[in-house]
Amino acid sequence: MTGRRELWRWGLVAPPLVISVALFVGPLAYLFYVSLHEVSPSELYGSWSLASYAAIAADPFYLLIIRRTLVTALAVLALALVIGYPVAYWIAKLPARARSLALLALLFPLMVSNVVRAYGWAAILGRRGVINTALGGLGLTDGPLGLLYSPEAVVLGLLTILLPYMVISIANVLASLDPRYAEAAQALGAGPIRTFIHVTLPLSAPGVASGLLLVFLLTLSAYVTIAVLGGPQSKLLVSLVYDSVVSFHWPQAAALAFTLLAIALAVSGAIMAVVRPGRVQGGRR
Amino acid sequence: MSVARLARAAAITVAYVLIVAPIAVVVVTAFSPTDFFVFPPPGLSLRWFVEFFRLDNMRGAFLFSLEVALIAATVASVLGTAGALFLARRRGAFATVLQGLFLAPLVFPTIILGLALLLLYKSVGMPVLPGLLFAHAVVGMPYSFRTTLAGLQGLDPALEEAGQSLGAGPLRTLALITLPLIWPSVLSGWLFAFIVSFGELNTALFLTGPGQTTLPIEIFSYLQFQGSQLVIAAASALQVGLIILMVAGIERIVGIARIVRAR
Repeated sequence: MTGRRELWRWGLVAPPLVISVALFVGPLAYLFYVSLHEVSPSELYGSWSLASYAAIAADPFYLLIIRRTLVTALAVLALALVIGYPVAYWIAKLPARARSLALLALLFPLMVSNVVRAYGWAAILGRRGVINTALGGLGLTDGPLGLLYSPEAVVLGLLTILLPYMVISIANVLASLDPRYAEAAQALGAGPIRTFIHVTLPLSAPGVASGLLLVFLLTLSAYVTIAVLGGPQSKLLVSLVYDSVVSFHWPQAAALAFTLLAIALAVSGAIMAVVRPGRVQGGRR
Repeated sequence: MSVARLARAAAITVAYVLIVAPIAVVVVTAFSPTDFFVFPPPGLSLRWFVEFFRLDNMRGAFLFSLEVALIAATVASVLGTAGALFLARRRGAFATVLQGLFLAPLVFPTIILGLALLLLYKSVGMPVLPGLLFAHAVVGMPYSFRTTLAGLQGLDPALEEAGQSLGAGPLRTLALITLPLIWPSVLSGWLFAFIVSFGELNTALFLTGPGQTTLPIEIFSYLQFQGSQLVIAAASALQVGLIILMVAGIERIVGIARIVRAR
């Protein structure tokens, strides 16, 4: 009887496990294998070589793009945290029903395709867009401002697309905190600001960490947002991955993809080291 | 304290305006009677929706997206539910690794997954439709897995044990006890997987082909190559409308609080 039940349980897990290995882990291993080869004009890849990685490390253009990617991601993270934390704090304090509605208003835009939201920003920032029409109509500007196709437009687009992740992550942790911690601090004489800095903020570290991680990882792969709002002048690392694919330089695309993953891993590690979500033990209601 | 309160009110207003404004502008523009982008539009018309369904590539992309999302969400739900049933009452290192593996596509840069699948498909000669279905099933599976797992963990194990002690085998227990109790979680997982597939860009960017393009990719190529034709506003508004219907559906089935916690 127990043998049959075990068999049944393994039968349950076999399909998702096989699919995950065959279509997630396997292809990534193959991608890594391809990245260790030369670009070939006719085949997917040529002979063994580290040329693609060497090219990335040696070419100042790639280094410029990597630096720009990091600066953009950092700006998005900082803005998302500064704007997102107060919003999350406000949402967490709402009564249950209002809190659900406030979170739903953030969750709904996440479900709309990023291309629609990028198009919305293009319509707002474009030469004939909402802002230029309004400014021109008021007589404040002589001609349309070039707001689109700039690093600022990319930051704005990424920020607004990813901000809900930050707010939802932090709000969920704040809402599940036991209010007695803050009450205890205040009973011991701490003012609201000291209570926030020494009690609430450290206890919300897991929400801050997962918000930062989500926003950062999604920033790295948001190709369409970057292409629509940044144009050809504001390319980031993910744009170079795309460009290499379009020009059929598979090993180069693969090496760039793993460079992107290495950066993702390094920055995720740095976020965990700074925010230290693991220091919070319990604290939940 | 009032400065702090003012700053917080400003942050809340800025956040909601920034998040909602681009979507609102697109939806309003979709009803514009003008040839080019004018905001606010001088009147209301459905001409761009008519144009959307008149254009073969737009209508085709819409139907192709629907087909992909329906099948991929179903495959993702079967896989995610099976994984959740296996892991619901299991502990230990293997279970932790497995859970990490099943949830990984949520945070993994999907454009890299798209590239990896493209290379795999190129070497095995995979056609466009099944290739895209597999990709979206992998991307959608974590959503089904997570919502179903949450549903299972809220289930009283005594109910399943009662069925088994009365002589029901695992399959009968699943069909007669477990699934009827957790189907709202399974269904909302399916709806999430559908929504994700319907708006997915990063794997579809590499995996769609001529004549077999999803709606988001079609909108993207219009944005890049055809300028700002308002038919893409109509396409976007249809996307938004469909998602509103789906969210209303989830709300009816499991309630608002569950939607918000499922993410």
